[in-house]
Amino acid sequence: MPRVTVVPHDVRVQARPGESVVDALRRAGWRSRYRCRRGGCGVCKVPLVEGRVDYPQPVAESVLAAAERDSGLCLPCRAVPVTDVVVDLGAEPLRAVLASTALPRTGFSRTTEQEGR
Amino acid sequence: MAVIRLGYVHVRVTDLAQARQHYQETLGMDPVHEEDGRVYLKSWDEDDHHSVVLEEGGVGLVKFGYKVTGDGTLDAIETRARSFGASCERMSKGDNAGVGDGLRVTLPSDHVLELYSDVEYLGTNVGKLNPAPWPRGLRGIGVPRINHALITTEDPALLERFFQDVLAFRPAERLVAGDEDSDLVGSWMYCGDQPHDIAFVKGANGKLHHFAYEVDDWSALLRAGDVMSMDDVPIDFGPARHGITRGGTIYFFDPSGNRNEVFSGGYRTGPDFRPITWTMDQAARGINYTHREIDQAFLEVVT
Repeated sequence: MPRVTVVPHDVRVQARPGESVVDALRRAGWRSRYRCRRGGCGVCKVPLVEGRVDYPQPVAESVLAAAERDSGLCLPCRAVPVTDVVVDLGAEPLRAVLASTALPRTGFSRTTEQEGR
Repeated sequence: MAVIRLGYVHVRVTDLAQARQHYQETLGMDPVHEEDGRVYLKSWDEDDHHSVVLEEGGVGLVKFGYKVTGDGTLDAIETRARSFGASCERMSKGDNAGVGDGLRVTLPSDHVLELYSDVEYLGTNVGKLNPAPWPRGLRGIGVPRINHALITTEDPALLERFFQDVLAFRPAERLVAGDEDSDLVGSWMYCGDQPHDIAFVKGANGKLHHFAYEVDDWSALLRAGDVMSMDDVPIDFGPARHGITRGGTIYFFDPSGNRNEVFSGGYRTGPDFRPITWTMDQAARGINYTHREIDQAFLEVVT
């Protein structure tokens, strides 16, 4: 599991496969700066100091432009670490939270399942 | 001769399948039409063809539409928009599925506003003859209808004047930083008897803060929150009461990060309603009367 290190706070957490930087931090009890948690608002955008991340979910160019990615910025709510990473979350402190993770999707009336029938 | 209501909101989404899951299964809207990369949806208590369009690619607002009465309103608005100096063009039947000829105006805030009176009638899911109060088999929240949108603009005073002079809206509530026109921070405006049909706050031009669905009451709002938890929908804030409009609210995000709201209650306005003023020192109470505190980012986060 890739390790996520947050500077300057020096917080280290493990990211599960497919888990975003924000979700890994939340699972470990840390709330970083974010708003929509869905890659749309861009509030969480910060420098990726070390390592590589992947974006399994599409991210709008207007939120994180290719040039911004090239210059070392990332979107922690959608960025999934593929190596150990170091992200610089700036001066704002992390807030300690008890956050519940997403539940597995269940139910029988979902569109995707209906379409699959 | 008047604007009737917010008819549709057309938004961009990064992933159409995930957006459909949210708008159809979590909110409970019905798809009525599909074309390449777009889904048109209707809520169960809406008569007209659609109220939300999802378009794959990006985030944010493509445009929004307000329905007007068919007695020469479009001509009158076109004349007034041109004399205001706003650019407008006629739109044709078929530009939007189910919607007839109309007028497309670029607002002083760069948003694209479409006005139309001719739209395909599909009817509510309970019909017009001895109807049940709600249809069986609703999915998720089961939103009955959309209600309003809040956008951002560099010049709230100019946009307020546009809505007042060109579209005959009136302000119900105004958030002000001082006595000058340039001190207007936000305005909540109506065209019928709601507390707001459009609202805007100071911010970047062309951006969407949120669009809202109306639900019956506070208990429907809390139930909506239950469904959001079941489906792990990110909550911005709520359930809470707004000071401005007195409505109940939960703000939440769709899978692309566009902000939605479920909204309940609010008072009634009308042509003789005198506007309410909020000062900046009480802005947090105006937005969240319950908690009297909002994150600085709340007004700034837009798509």
